[in-house]
Amino acid sequence: MKKECVAMLLAGGQGSRLYALTRSVAKPAVPFGAKYRIIDFPLSNCVNSGIDTVGVLTQYRPMELNAYLGNGQPWDLDKSDGGVHVLPPYLGAGEKGSWYKGTANAIYQNIDFIDMYNPEYVLILSGDHIYKMDYDKMLAYHKAQNAAATIAVLEVTLEEATRFGIMNVDENDVIYEFEEKPKHPKSTLASMGIYIFTWSKLREALISDENDPTSKNDFGGNIIPNLIGQGDKCVAWRFDGYWKDVGTIASLWDANMDLLKTDSGIKIYDKSWPLYARTNICPPHVDGPNAVISHSLVAGGGEIGGIVDNSVIFENVVIEEGATVRYSVIMPGTVIKAGAKVEYSIIAENAVVESNATVGEDKGAIAVVAGGVVVDAGSVVPAGAMYTEESKGGEA
Amino acid sequence: MLNNVHGILMTNQPGYNLKELSSIRSISSVPYGGRYRLVDFVLSNMVNAGIVDIGVVLQQGYQSLLDHLGSGKDWDLARRRGGLRLLPPFSMTNTQQHNYRGMMDALVGLRDYLDEIKQDYIVIADADVVANIELEKVYDQHIASGADVTVVCSASYTDRPGYATYYTLAEDGSAAEIVNKPVGYESLNVYVVAKAKLIELVEYAAARGLYSFSHQVLANKDQLGLKVVPYIFEGYVARFPTVADYFAKSMDLLKKDVRDDLFNPAHPIRSKDRSDPATYYGPDSKVVGSMISDGCVIEGTVENSIIFRNVKVAKGAVVKNCILMKDTDIGEGTNLNCVICDKAVTIGAGRTLSGCEAYPIVYAKGARI
Repeated sequence: MKKECVAMLLAGGQGSRLYALTRSVAKPAVPFGAKYRIIDFPLSNCVNSGIDTVGVLTQYRPMELNAYLGNGQPWDLDKSDGGVHVLPPYLGAGEKGSWYKGTANAIYQNIDFIDMYNPEYVLILSGDHIYKMDYDKMLAYHKAQNAAATIAVLEVTLEEATRFGIMNVDENDVIYEFEEKPKHPKSTLASMGIYIFTWSKLREALISDENDPTSKNDFGGNIIPNLIGQGDKCVAWRFDGYWKDVGTIASLWDANMDLLKTDSGIKIYDKSWPLYARTNICPPHVDGPNAVISHSLVAGGGEIGGIVDNSVIFENVVIEEGATVRYSVIMPGTVIKAGAKVEYSIIAENAVVESNATVGEDKGAIAVVAGGVVVDAGSVVPAGAMYTEESKGGEA
Repeated sequence: MLNNVHGILMTNQPGYNLKELSSIRSISSVPYGGRYRLVDFVLSNMVNAGIVDIGVVLQQGYQSLLDHLGSGKDWDLARRRGGLRLLPPFSMTNTQQHNYRGMMDALVGLRDYLDEIKQDYIVIADADVVANIELEKVYDQHIASGADVTVVCSASYTDRPGYATYYTLAEDGSAAEIVNKPVGYESLNVYVVAKAKLIELVEYAAARGLYSFSHQVLANKDQLGLKVVPYIFEGYVARFPTVADYFAKSMDLLKKDVRDDLFNPAHPIRSKDRSDPATYYGPDSKVVGSMISDGCVIEGTVENSIIFRNVKVAKGAVVKNCILMKDTDIGEGTNLNCVICDKAVTIGAGRTLSGCEAYPIVYAKGARI
């Protein structure tokens, strides 16, 4: 059936800068905010915006992400018409197939999928941003502007602008130039990696881009500059809510801590824009007789016996009496034993921090313990360390 | 996996006086344990045993149960084949126009439904029992013992004089006496019986106007030539005919051994998923010895309490020995002791309300104090 707008969510990135956290899962499947995974944010935005057809483009380590998405039921995306579709690269009959070469190529390879729904518009999203956005408002703007492409932009500081794709716009917010990470930015409007295209325009652009052997097949680097170059109307749509790219350990930790602040702009309790997630079956958590918990988020299933301060605690985490967790993110199923001290750290799923071990240090760079790793009793994981099974054998 | 077993849940049981908690809903949808309704326990027991075709017999006050069960998807029971089937009263044309007086009465009214059951065996159970029962083991014993009816019994008494049935054992492990005074083992009213045998017993009851399965049918086992064998369940069991029992059995959940038994992750208790965020503890919160569900915002003090989803405890409030159900809102500086708040109760700032453990104060759903 024809859909007005289909969303395509780029979820194939390896997230190499999250190293220890993405060794076995794709970045969008990284746990976030005590109950979610990163991909829950764009997916919930889609559903809350009335978009019921979402293609999720996977490539790197997709097993856990595929299992997590399942039939899309937690997001009400288990539809008989539309819903969530996992789209890995594939081989066509008699042709050579290939991995997704770039963001634009990933969409190019799925032109048939989009054509199946024959949409007027296509929304391109990435799976590594934390934000709440009404895509329907952006679409209304796109239609009102009669644009070929609308790019969501965020005002950043001049200093930050050097790290983003920057939109140079005229007085009507029509984009005349796109600069990737400019040394001397002319504008402070940063691309958020969220695009709406009129499908007929994007379809043509993808085909001609694919025929250009010098292209990197990238939206920011090729498709959008090409559209601007050929005189198609590309407009910036200003967003002023909370938005964070969680592509690095520091920003992932920051974004988790932002959930604890009342003024950060990301409101997880706002029922008008709920966040959906596939949840584990677990009972409520229990706080022991000597627990001390302050300024923290705690999810279900766990047992908190020790001190938890300024931290984000996922499902089924055990923090024994006598353990201290401060300014840290503890992912599902992890156990922090008595006498252990965890500060300024991210501990991935099903890890164990044994008695009297120390992870991270006060106000230090964020230490990371990889999933399933045991930090031995009494050992020390220094600030900024990436502690994995391999590094444990070496210098730790 | 019990793929040749059908489940039937009875959701109304007499003998309860939970005041405001059960006056607005059937006993099986009374909230318990922070995020559950009583029905979740036996329903999950069935699903965990691989029973995927389950009828729920409804009678009175079942609106809240319908809201809770929905399509059954949270128990993986929203299926094309089988799944959850809701059986409201008077849904069959031959139903007598009165309330069911007992299980046999209900089954007589559901005779057409019984005929349509595809499986050869039936687990039929009251949905008022808090327990994590591995029904595969009950079924295995049923087959091995050659019983006509297997009944799950507990060695611990849950104190329901006049309503519970008690079994004493003969030497071969089958039921000797079936009585309504507390001797031997207390029945949890969870039965395994072959479909053909159940229909035979329903016809027997219908012809004689009998309505109680345990007191009027099973108690006549010798005349009927029935082999009734209790299955002795060793795990934790809670039923609560009174508010004081409800209070005490809720507080049992603060004991680790009870939780480990009841919430064994190998066969988890499922409930309706509400996609709540995690609970936020404010900078000055003090929460000890309590069970806390998702979606709460706690800025005050909570001790020795069971807190359901989306509860707000404002700064300076002190909540001790309380059970606060979903969406309860406790104002600043309020002091509560031994209070049970049903859903969406609002208690204004600065109140002091205190009951005692044997007689907790109960506030009805939606009350504003």
